[in-house]
Amino acid sequence: MGGRVVGGPSRRGFLRGLGAAALAAGGAGTLAACGGSSGGGAVTGGSGEPSGSITVWSWKNPAAELRALIPAFNAVHPKVQVNVQDIGNPAIWDKITIAMEAGGQGLADLLHIGVDYLPSYIEKFPGGLADLSQLGANQYSSAFAPGLWQTVSRGSKVYALPWEANAAGFFVRADLFKKAGVDPSSLLTWDDVIVAGKKVKAATGTALFAVDKSASQADSANLFQLLMQLQGAFYFNLDGKITLNSPEAVRALTLIKEMDDAGLLADVQGSPGTTGYDTAVKSGKVAVCPDPAWYGGYLEALAPDLKGDWQLILPPAVTPGGSRSAIVNSTHLAVSGTSKNQRAAFAFAEFALTRPDSQVSIFKAKGIFPALLKAYDDPVFHQSDPYFGGQKYAEVFVEELSKPSTPTNYTSDYARALKAVDDAQTKVLLQGAAPAAVLKAAASQLAQQTRRSQA
Amino acid sequence: MSLAVRERAKERGKRPARPAGTARRTGGGTARLAPYLFILPALALFAAFRLYPIGWSFVLSLYHTEGMTQTWTGLGNYQRLIHDPLFWKALGNTGLILVVQVPVMLCLALGLSVALNSALLRWKPLFRLGFFLPVVTGLVTYGLMMGALLNQDSGAVNWLLSLVGLPEVHWLTDPFWAKVSVMLALTWHYTGYNAVIYLARLQGIPDEHYEAAAVDGAGAWRRFWHITLPGLRPALLLTVVLSTIGTLQLFDEPFIMTGGGPDNATTTIGVYLYQTGFRYFDFGYASAIGYALVLIISVFGLIQVKLAKEED
Repeated sequence: MGGRVVGGPSRRGFLRGLGAAALAAGGAGTLAACGGSSGGGAVTGGSGEPSGSITVWSWKNPAAELRALIPAFNAVHPKVQVNVQDIGNPAIWDKITIAMEAGGQGLADLLHIGVDYLPSYIEKFPGGLADLSQLGANQYSSAFAPGLWQTVSRGSKVYALPWEANAAGFFVRADLFKKAGVDPSSLLTWDDVIVAGKKVKAATGTALFAVDKSASQADSANLFQLLMQLQGAFYFNLDGKITLNSPEAVRALTLIKEMDDAGLLADVQGSPGTTGYDTAVKSGKVAVCPDPAWYGGYLEALAPDLKGDWQLILPPAVTPGGSRSAIVNSTHLAVSGTSKNQRAAFAFAEFALTRPDSQVSIFKAKGIFPALLKAYDDPVFHQSDPYFGGQKYAEVFVEELSKPSTPTNYTSDYARALKAVDDAQTKVLLQGAAPAAVLKAAASQLAQQTRRSQA
Repeated sequence: MSLAVRERAKERGKRPARPAGTARRTGGGTARLAPYLFILPALALFAAFRLYPIGWSFVLSLYHTEGMTQTWTGLGNYQRLIHDPLFWKALGNTGLILVVQVPVMLCLALGLSVALNSALLRWKPLFRLGFFLPVVTGLVTYGLMMGALLNQDSGAVNWLLSLVGLPEVHWLTDPFWAKVSVMLALTWHYTGYNAVIYLARLQGIPDEHYEAAAVDGAGAWRRFWHITLPGLRPALLLTVVLSTIGTLQLFDEPFIMTGGGPDNATTTIGVYLYQTGFRYFDFGYASAIGYALVLIISVFGLIQVKLAKEED
């Protein structure tokens, strides 16, 4: 593309005082971006034993768990003061973006970043995140669930360490299925799901899934994305070409339409972890949560009354004999390129993410599922859970995460693709549009917006 | 120096005489500089936080940006705007809100201000406070509140509809009703603000005009048409210009209530600009959207001011 990285020394000094993008021009909202950091320089924070203070940005439960690790961390690294801040999700993305755009000014030393943003930060803000290979991160290249190292690295450079690995789970209300005379373990394909869903609906009046048909949240196409990933597909292929017009995409959206036509989708505003969705689950409005691993632990706290009513199975395959596993998202810890104490920040990330004891304690407290393979040896991942009717539910995910998985190329244009998919799904579910036609239009719109070609 | 002294000096066609006791001190150059030195901090802040972003964002609009990577594209972003269906959709949505919501709101505010000004009305301060209170509600707070009230399943509005036997309305999830919801929220929030501006102006119209008209046999409608409306003209122009600019910049309400959806039904130019900049990191294109908006607002502003002058 012949691009250049902005941020020459003449401008940078001035810009640093100005902060981030600004809404200007009579309040009309014209943007001004500021230049950046060179990045990629020597590691900051001296050599030898890490020392000094570091700030960490995360949100709610993970922030609380990182904070809980500080005493144990300080027993090993007494000279480092750690300040964990709960920025909130999604507020954290705007905060990081603005600071990145301001050349990294004001960024915390350690950043908790989701897979939907990480590729953008790596690719669109060169130097925004520190290259952790200089701090010895490469020794962990095979320590995490397969596929995740490709997400956090580019060639020999490493931009983050994986934390959560969220394999897709199929959390089934076994009590409702029993009423309808359906055994959840008999669901092998999505055609089976539709047949079973009709029986559950007839017997109990309950819909199968909650879907945000009007896409009030950015991640309203979770079900579509899962159906794509189960087919080994995504919005982009590994070359970065758009695949929204592929047979897999059409199959996924057609399945969703079939389920909606059969009355199996409850229209619920919000996605897992937000009030609308969680209320629907808690009040028994839906019989299945096709959600990431973290939702298991979350569910237990959300709906204690439903103890014993759940059963976890792997998501059914889209085609007979097809894959039944997918890592639907992951989160990571990255050190900012402008951190003055990268060595200490990395030491804390290393302590939290590569040490099984840390990950086990986080899983026990909040059910946040780790990517660290060694952590899975702990008995907590292999014991029966009364909330899931005595099932060894964590083992389902351990098994899923240990399998080789298709790498998912989120690309730096994931946010645009997600929006295009959200809109396409809304057209199908609210206006009765044909899946193939809306996906064709979405793919061409995405190509026009991103200058990417279609596969 | 009093206004009278200045006026007399003007009449004589020469510089006003220096009042006694204010003889020029030595070092007059410094004295002349003094006011500039006093406003220098404000000027510096203005230049740094207003002028610089305005200027730099225009430069940015001439680049294709990918986060911090920039490629010169000249007018490429503006050409891209012309061929971008989402931009036109956002422009259409914003335009629709402008031509439907603004006149409805201003008519309501007009009626309200006349009623609040009426000698027949008791408990005036209470009513005035009641209608003005929405204005002081924070944008995010009232957006969230409206979202909760209009929620399809748990909102109070649908509950009220059900009490009178009406079917539930998909306020935020149907493309048509989502637009209506945003307009309702805007009207609730800003009508009182405009009514207060009108009310202030109404109180400046002398009672004698109404009394004289009444003596001449003019009815209530004629008094409104020939005294109230002409008296309100400057206030009307002000509110029309402010409402037009405000609506063209509309962001908070649709962003909070509907996120611009469903299927972009409530995506305004402001929402699209935000998504382009802060979701897609395409700051060059976002700047071009911002400048297109500046151009549109300028054209509207000029037309409105020109129309007002012609009527004068």
